Amino acid sequence: MSSTIRLACSAPPLEPRLRAWLDGTRLEPPVSLTLDVRVGDPPPAPDDWHSLFQQPGVAVRSSARGSGVHLSWDVAPAVAELDATTRTARVTLSSVAIARFDECLETFFVAVLIFLLRRAGWHHIHAATAIDPEGRGWLLAGNGHSGKSTTAALFARQGWQVGTDDTAFLAPAYRAVAVVACRARIALRPDGERLLGCSAGMTLDRRHKLGYWPEELGGGFAPRVVPEVILFTAVGNGCTAATPLSARECLAELVRWSAWVMLEPDLAQEHLELMTRLARQAKSYRVTLGHDLFARPTRLRELIA
Amino acid sequence: VTARYQRHPETRLTAIEGEGVVLHLGTRRYFSVSETGLAVLEALAGPCTVEELVPLLVASYDVTPEDAGKSTHAFVTRCLAADLVVVAPHP
Repeated sequence: MSSTIRLACSAPPLEPRLRAWLDGTRLEPPVSLTLDVRVGDPPPAPDDWHSLFQQPGVAVRSSARGSGVHLSWDVAPAVAELDATTRTARVTLSSVAIARFDECLETFFVAVLIFLLRRAGWHHIHAATAIDPEGRGWLLAGNGHSGKSTTAALFARQGWQVGTDDTAFLAPAYRAVAVVACRARIALRPDGERLLGCSAGMTLDRRHKLGYWPEELGGGFAPRVVPEVILFTAVGNGCTAATPLSARECLAELVRWSAWVMLEPDLAQEHLELMTRLARQAKSYRVTLGHDLFARPTRLRELIA
Repeated sequence: VTARYQRHPETRLTAIEGEGVVLHLGTRRYFSVSETGLAVLEALAGPCTVEELVPLLVASYDVTPEDAGKSTHAFVTRCLAADLVVVAPHP
């Protein structure tokens, strides 16, 4: 399976690497999108554009009118320009950025992809996704130390289908909101790997983590999940516990973990409405994850039964 | 001259569980408002005076025009302070 995102690349040596990366994400947006990549001196952001957002390694700027964004990579000269209404990301890479291409893919191009997919109605959420053996969709949202990846790996060890442990997209579906996974290895810290009894994960250099495909852990890949259960996770010292949330509380949490809703005024309402529908469609809980989960992996399903 | 108000252009609204949620894209803040507050903010998509908002509330809720006027004025004042509402320019 390959991505349907069209690639136009003026640098023939880069094209197969970009194509392989895009195909590896397994993202198939419902409308045609184009990633137009050129090599040269990246154009600066216009003087009147202001800083909109800074995520690790990538600065996002916007015009005063909010019509489009300009992304720049902090590590080496590379920029991307996206208009508000066109479905193309125009990327210019310097030779220095090309020399660090793998790193550029992991940070800069992921950010570009997130903005490009917004133009197809897919809106980013920082979350893990899975489907349990009964066919229920799960979404786990939280920050980088909230146990999403370890729990996703634990699910895979139990034979669940896992979509992602980090980067997902809210997408409209028939009478529901689906969450589409950007396929990547589940990234475990060494202590998580030890607790799960795993070994031989692939070293993910930049993140100082070890990566596993869900299939390598005994699970499967779920490209798309319709969440019936949403967990907002944190790691605690005690036993695993879950507190039900109202739909209103769920929406407030979703906004927190899908914070790009605040960017690009033309797309914000659509993004907010998807989160509202998702908050209505799923049962949601605030969950504290404890070490007991490793001895009793069914604990989460029992808690939300 | 009676002031006319309108919703800040960088606000986005949604309704959930009989309440309203307002995002302010400029300040990146999240607000919860009552069902009535949401109705007022929806009406303020275009410039309105408080007096023009009162019939809308009286028609939809069990409230007297006097009470609707007072509560709407108080709500709009709070929204002005939070930058959810701005004073509309005179036509």
